[in-house]
Amino acid sequence: MRVRALVGIGAVVLLAACDSTPKARSETTVEVSRAVCGSGWSDPHGGTQVFRVHNVGTNTAEVELVDPATGAVYAEVDGVAPGTTRPMQVRLGRGRYAFKCLPEDTDALTGSTVTVRDGPARGAPAVVPVGEQDLRDAVTTYRAYVTRSFGPLRRDVAALEREVRSGDRAAARRAWLTAHLDYERLGAAYGTFGDLADAIDRLPAGLPDGAHDKDFTGFHRIEYGLWHGESMTALRGPAGRLRTDVGTLVGGFDREQTDPNDLPLRAHEILEATLEFELTGAADQGSGSTLATARANVDGTRAVLSALRPVLTGRYRGLSGADASLDTLAKLLDAQHSGGTWTPVADLSRAERERLDGATGDALERLAPIAALAEVRRTR
Amino acid sequence: MKLPRRQVLTGAIGVGAGAVAGAGATYAAAHAGTDERPEPDAVPFHGVHQAGVVDAAPKHSTMVSLDVLADDRDGLRELFTTLTARARFLTAGGTPPDPGIAAPPHDSGVLGPDVPPDRLTITVGVGASLFDHRYGLATRKPVRLSPMRTFPNDAPDPAWCHGDVSVQFCAPNADTVIHALRDVARHTRGLAQIRWRMDGFRSPPRPSGTPRNLMGFKDGTSNPDRTDAREMDRRIWLSAGKATGQAAGEPSWTAGGSYQVVRLIRMRLEFWDRISTSEQEKLIGRRRDTGAPLDGSGEFDTPKYAEDPVGSAIPLTSHIRRANPRTAKSDPSLLLRRPYNYDRGVDAVGDLDMGLLFVCYQRDLARQFEAVQTRLVDEPLVDYITPFGGGYFFTLPGVRDAHDTYGRTLLA
Ligand code: HEM
Repeated sequence: MRVRALVGIGAVVLLAACDSTPKARSETTVEVSRAVCGSGWSDPHGGTQVFRVHNVGTNTAEVELVDPATGAVYAEVDGVAPGTTRPMQVRLGRGRYAFKCLPEDTDALTGSTVTVRDGPARGAPAVVPVGEQDLRDAVTTYRAYVTRSFGPLRRDVAALEREVRSGDRAAARRAWLTAHLDYERLGAAYGTFGDLADAIDRLPAGLPDGAHDKDFTGFHRIEYGLWHGESMTALRGPAGRLRTDVGTLVGGFDREQTDPNDLPLRAHEILEATLEFELTGAADQGSGSTLATARANVDGTRAVLSALRPVLTGRYRGLSGADASLDTLAKLLDAQHSGGTWTPVADLSRAERERLDGATGDALERLAPIAALAEVRRTR
Repeated sequence: MKLPRRQVLTGAIGVGAGAVAGAGATYAAAHAGTDERPEPDAVPFHGVHQAGVVDAAPKHSTMVSLDVLADDRDGLRELFTTLTARARFLTAGGTPPDPGIAAPPHDSGVLGPDVPPDRLTITVGVGASLFDHRYGLATRKPVRLSPMRTFPNDAPDPAWCHGDVSVQFCAPNADTVIHALRDVARHTRGLAQIRWRMDGFRSPPRPSGTPRNLMGFKDGTSNPDRTDAREMDRRIWLSAGKATGQAAGEPSWTAGGSYQVVRLIRMRLEFWDRISTSEQEKLIGRRRDTGAPLDGSGEFDTPKYAEDPVGSAIPLTSHIRRANPRTAKSDPSLLLRRPYNYDRGVDAVGDLDMGLLFVCYQRDLARQFEAVQTRLVDEPLVDYITPFGGGYFFTLPGVRDAHDTYGRTLLA
């Protein structure tokens, strides 16, 4: 009760504040249900509009404003629950529009076509929605890339274990970098491979004893030991465990589903993680190779983009800009690599560091729209 | 083809309609046609001079120094065009366009769905490093612009010094400042990178008169009259046409601009609090309670140095007497101070890391700022302060109208 009362007071204050801000954008209430979709839009005009989408039916619905000729979506509100009203803001140009309603558990319904004859010639951009079918090929392409990469990964992880067992630290360090980059090129990000990803490539952050925690495993565990003077025999365990975990990952990949929605997200998420962990140096456990990792992550991002390319061509005007931005970033990173060694982040000059961070930021801004554009939407 | 950033955020290919135009309806347009129109809440963006220089400082600010990443002159032009478009929108307010399903939201939402202007000002300056080999601007450098000097009492931290471009955001509310900063940083991503940034705040009058700085003294009492346009033209703004006064020899593109000095000055407040009021007052030359000069009774009384040649009332070494001896010889060194306080947490020994985000404007760095700062060398106050950062910048001429951009005359 007390909570409600407080909320009530808050609401009054908010309303009062809203009232003092006059609104010129025109507002139209439209009704949606299982039987009608977008009724109430009787006086169409161009310009910036707010539709108040009121669900008078009994099913929660997703509601879109579409171009009836192509199905391209101008705006959407999802999860409009029965009895609720949600605002949909959109800038309308001259043209033909219709509301499309996608209620849960029933078929989509498109309302009648409305023609806007005044206002700006062009309004907000519309995008032909991507369906699950559209992404199926992209997922297949991406999975084929991952599968192709598994061969070298297994081979190089086995070589790492051999070098660790041989006791040759320098050779083991070289083998470690090769194997780690194989893995980073896969384009795993934010839990792609579930718990195994943690076992294979986690950082000590979050473990009670940090780098000395018994649950610290994988590439970075071995890196820590190789570059902190741990005895080579002590690293046999972690190297063997890594080989086993990678084997499990590879063996189980065929049975693991890839959620099609993961792929568009990954277009920017791989490099979001690169900026947070590699370009800051936070991921470094002693090898100073985080720029090598970043470079591998660019390849992983490119693999995602090339899988998505058929879906994006014709939908994303910024695609070539994103490609060019990734090329710039790759070139800047390559410049920090010579004779098998990579410049540690901490040794970069300020200007070099700003260039790298700026180029990464630029790529991220250009990749981010892909997640929105290529998100799977129901169409029927 | 690389799309300019302005288009990236709504870079979807329009189907049946083109890409969204511009950056959304202006606040004024969005609010036109209603009877109860609110008081103008915007500081005009267009003008001969930029805002945020001679207008009274609102409560909140952030000063960012940017390094330009653009590859060439076209890239630099794109940076200034983008900065102009964003500043024009942010200072006027309005409704950011909705990208539909084509992109993440255009705006951070920090100020709600409609961006209020909230008297935001954005002030853009250029540093000496912008005139190096990169953009072919060496011959266009304002003649008095150089990298900030290291003065004898300075302890410069390279991470906090210099920069290609300065951008100062000021507004009565901190969220407005942060919203604008995020917007500008996002739209210029890849073209410029933040080098350093310091947030500032100003206090209300306590209890009256000029606001106090963190040492407890009123700061800003004695300043040229910012409302006197002739005084500002004489001391602060570079003029157009025939080279007048001391600003002779400046390239003509600089007309309407001003030299900006930013000094980040740490205060040793724990030490300061351990000395007596009278000691503090002798260091400054003014009363701590009223702000009056030590030979006067009201804040705005004029110190009478001629009557006190040996400094028995106001010590010769006091801050105000060194900064402005008020003689005919020192008159040309008067400058316009527009300082903020800063607070950046705690230092290694647990002392408060606070101080002054000192900003001042003038027509001539050597004749004004450097002359004052040179007189202040080894003033007794230096035991309680440490200048560690900042830079010299040239505040660009104002953006004249809807077709103009920052730096148009510079890049012409
Ligand atoms: C942390 C550092 C500083 C502190 C605490 C400080 C404090 C003050 C105070 C309390 C006043 C008297 C009130 C007023 O007239 O505004 C003052 C005046 C002044 N300060 Fe500073 N100040 C600092 C740094 C500087 C710097 C870096 C400069 C310029 C190089 C400067 C130049 C002046 C000038 C020109 C005056 C006016 C003197 C007059 O006309 O009587 N101050 N300052």
